Amino acid sequence: MTALLETPPEAPAARARSLPLWANPRLGLLVLLVVLVVLFTALRPSFLDVDFTLVPMQADISVYVVVGLAQLAVLSLGHMNMAVGRMAAMSAFAMGLAYQELGTPLVVDVLIGLAVGAGLGALAGLVISRTGVNSFVVTLALDFALVGLVSLLYAKATDGVSFGAQPGGMAALRTDTFADYCAGNVCGPPVPLIVPIAVVAALLVGLLFRWSRTGREILMTGASVKAAELSGIPVGRRVVQAHALSGLLSGLAGFLLAVNNGAFSAGIGDAFLLPSFLAPVLGGTLLVGGAVSVLGTFLGATITQVIYKGLNLLQFQVDQLKLYIGLVLIVALSLDRVRHVLAERRGARA
Amino acid sequence: MILSASGLVKTFPGVRALDGASLSLAAGSVHALLGENGAGKSTLVKILTGVYRPDGGTIELDGKPVHFTGPLDALRAGIGVVHQERNLVTEFSVAENIVLHHLPRRFGVVRRSRVRDEARRCLDLLDLDLDPDAPVSTLSVAQAQLVEIAKALSVDNRVLLLDEPTASLTGDEADRLYAIVRKLTGSGHAVVLVSHKLEEVFAVADTVTVLRDGRSVAEGQPLSAYTRDEVVDLMVGRAHAAVSLAARTPLSSDAAALSLTDVATSYGHADVSFDVAPGEIYGLYGLVGAGRTELAKALLGLGSVTAGTVSVHGTPVRISGVGEALRRHRIGYVTENRKEEGLFLEQPITRNIGVTVWHRLTRLGLIRDRAEASLVDDYRQRLGIRLATPKQLAGQLSGGNQQKVSLAKWLAADCGILIVDEPTVGIDVRTKAAFHELIAGLAGQGMAILLISSDLPEIVTLADRIGVMAGFRLRGELPNDGDYERMSQSIIRLIHTPLIPAAPH
Repeated sequence: MTALLETPPEAPAARARSLPLWANPRLGLLVLLVVLVVLFTALRPSFLDVDFTLVPMQADISVYVVVGLAQLAVLSLGHMNMAVGRMAAMSAFAMGLAYQELGTPLVVDVLIGLAVGAGLGALAGLVISRTGVNSFVVTLALDFALVGLVSLLYAKATDGVSFGAQPGGMAALRTDTFADYCAGNVCGPPVPLIVPIAVVAALLVGLLFRWSRTGREILMTGASVKAAELSGIPVGRRVVQAHALSGLLSGLAGFLLAVNNGAFSAGIGDAFLLPSFLAPVLGGTLLVGGAVSVLGTFLGATITQVIYKGLNLLQFQVDQLKLYIGLVLIVALSLDRVRHVLAERRGARA
Repeated sequence: MILSASGLVKTFPGVRALDGASLSLAAGSVHALLGENGAGKSTLVKILTGVYRPDGGTIELDGKPVHFTGPLDALRAGIGVVHQERNLVTEFSVAENIVLHHLPRRFGVVRRSRVRDEARRCLDLLDLDLDPDAPVSTLSVAQAQLVEIAKALSVDNRVLLLDEPTASLTGDEADRLYAIVRKLTGSGHAVVLVSHKLEEVFAVADTVTVLRDGRSVAEGQPLSAYTRDEVVDLMVGRAHAAVSLAARTPLSSDAAALSLTDVATSYGHADVSFDVAPGEIYGLYGLVGAGRTELAKALLGLGSVTAGTVSVHGTPVRISGVGEALRRHRIGYVTENRKEEGLFLEQPITRNIGVTVWHRLTRLGLIRDRAEASLVDDYRQRLGIRLATPKQLAGQLSGGNQQKVSLAKWLAADCGILIVDEPTVGIDVRTKAAFHELIAGLAGQGMAILLISSDLPEIVTLADRIGVMAGFRLRGELPNDGDYERMSQSIIRLIHTPLIPAAPH
């Protein structure tokens, strides 16, 4: 990734700098990633097969990076968004409906869908900041309500499962890689077309939390609501903005998954919730708020997909697959914690 | 000797916190443990109570060597402690917190009525009128501190260590605490008192140990052998120059920077009127619970002003929040509760200072790190903030330096009016003097300062006029002539004057 994501932003960066290099959680993840890739390649050389493994894996990683960012947007506050999946589903529904009813081009459909996602997020944020009810409860309730709404809407507007016709360009996004586009003899790398969308989203989120006033004030609100309020930060507005961003990114993830699946369907987002926490938390984002790591989220999502793909190639059954992913993640998180505690003990102050 | 420790050594990476510290404690006496911030007092207290294990040295209890394996172990051996940091479970009730370590149970079930009775007994010891069922989260800082002390009293300890017990208490409350301390020593207990307030130490303690750079420079001497200045010299380690502030003449200006007329608030204030001119320090004195902090919060829009007028530079205003106070009226508020409200402890110093001015440091919507760094460097030099690196977390700084950071963000924001709430609570003698000079200097530059303090010497040193608040009302206002004896008497008299004179019998 770029220089922007190279230095993990926010507080852990400061902490990491005062700790030895080996205690940097991002470095640990990178090592783990390399080890896993080497391991899987040794066991199954087809792990490095471009068409069979690498291209689809990049497409999956793109989706789950954005899913992770959607959760990261509110983890920055110390909040949770239990409705990422359903916000993605509503957003994707709006995209499909816009094309079906208005016949608008893909870009417009996507923008309409993202606006729906952002709106749902803002609504959750507004309820949370006005009532003071815990974000977990509010978004869980919202998720519950939206589950019903999504299937009602799909039943009304489609055959009940997915939209029949997709906007032009969806198919190309799904099937093409940059290797299909050549200038003379020079062709692009075998990277799916949706990868840059996820990369740009990650860069923008990184930029927001690292260098913009809004992003930093969201983090400060996450670090201490009281101190933020007494430092003149418009706390309520920042809460709404963070949740709106979470909704928007959920919508984007929904779109990317629809691209991969080939259609806007009712099942989009069903499997988003767990991975949305996995990627950022594995990457060192705190659940208590005040610190996020975009690079860590990227690495977290990548590792999860590499494990998934690798075990899949080794012909593990779906249930076994889940079991092993869970075990690997517990080990990875524990090691990370052990390393951090060791480092802190060595660096402890009076 | 009940408890004696000798040659204690404790090192943390890069810091030798204790380097041969010794202390011995006789039954029935109050022993003062003094030293500047960072001298190792808190480390010593934590070793004596089993929180840390020493790297060297011995601890003897009743002449037998002991090795505490943890805080509970020390507690069982009869050593009770009130740490400087709060150690209450905020979601639990006052009563539950007080008896937390020995909840009365029957068949494994906590007996609520016994909990309440036991807590009531401890609260009564302190003459505290608190609802035992109230959750600790609803208490003020001072009340929580008193609950902490009640908790230590709930166990029959032979040795009681009090680390800055009066940091957030007022004179009355402190007096009450020290009366208890004397009662305890009278019945054979030994008490170790760590305090920055030398007046109190001299009034209460029998013997003294002074720590400097982790060593005991005076050990177990009777306190009466020293004068106040000699003790300060021992702590500081050099001949101590008495601090006196340069004479400051407040600018006489027609328009008050901040003025209140017959103000009432949602917190229950009534008829509060005073004004602060540019270049003036207006001292607002009162006991804890008198409504001073609440008044500041109402002015900032965190509560609401329900009657009367608040004017800024002559214009009536209605402020809805700290952001508006800062950006539209250039009013800053340095809170009394720096750990929870003043600082983001888990964030770097740069962000703690930059937070009020990020909108000024942006280019194309992005904050320029270099502009922020130079701002921080500027205030590091101006305020003498001692830090390892600007990226250091604010929570890693010492109390005095934390307070400077908490102040720096308002100076960076270029405030014209500054409300400073208990600026030197828990800060050592030298830093306190530096703070006083700093505040006087800010007023000298034309800033209007509303100084809220329950530290009488502080308010008499700094304020031009002193308003005395009690029971959410302003009892009176005194011009400060700088004569400590006379001023303190007048102030105390004002506080204890009944609001409505009792009818003659």
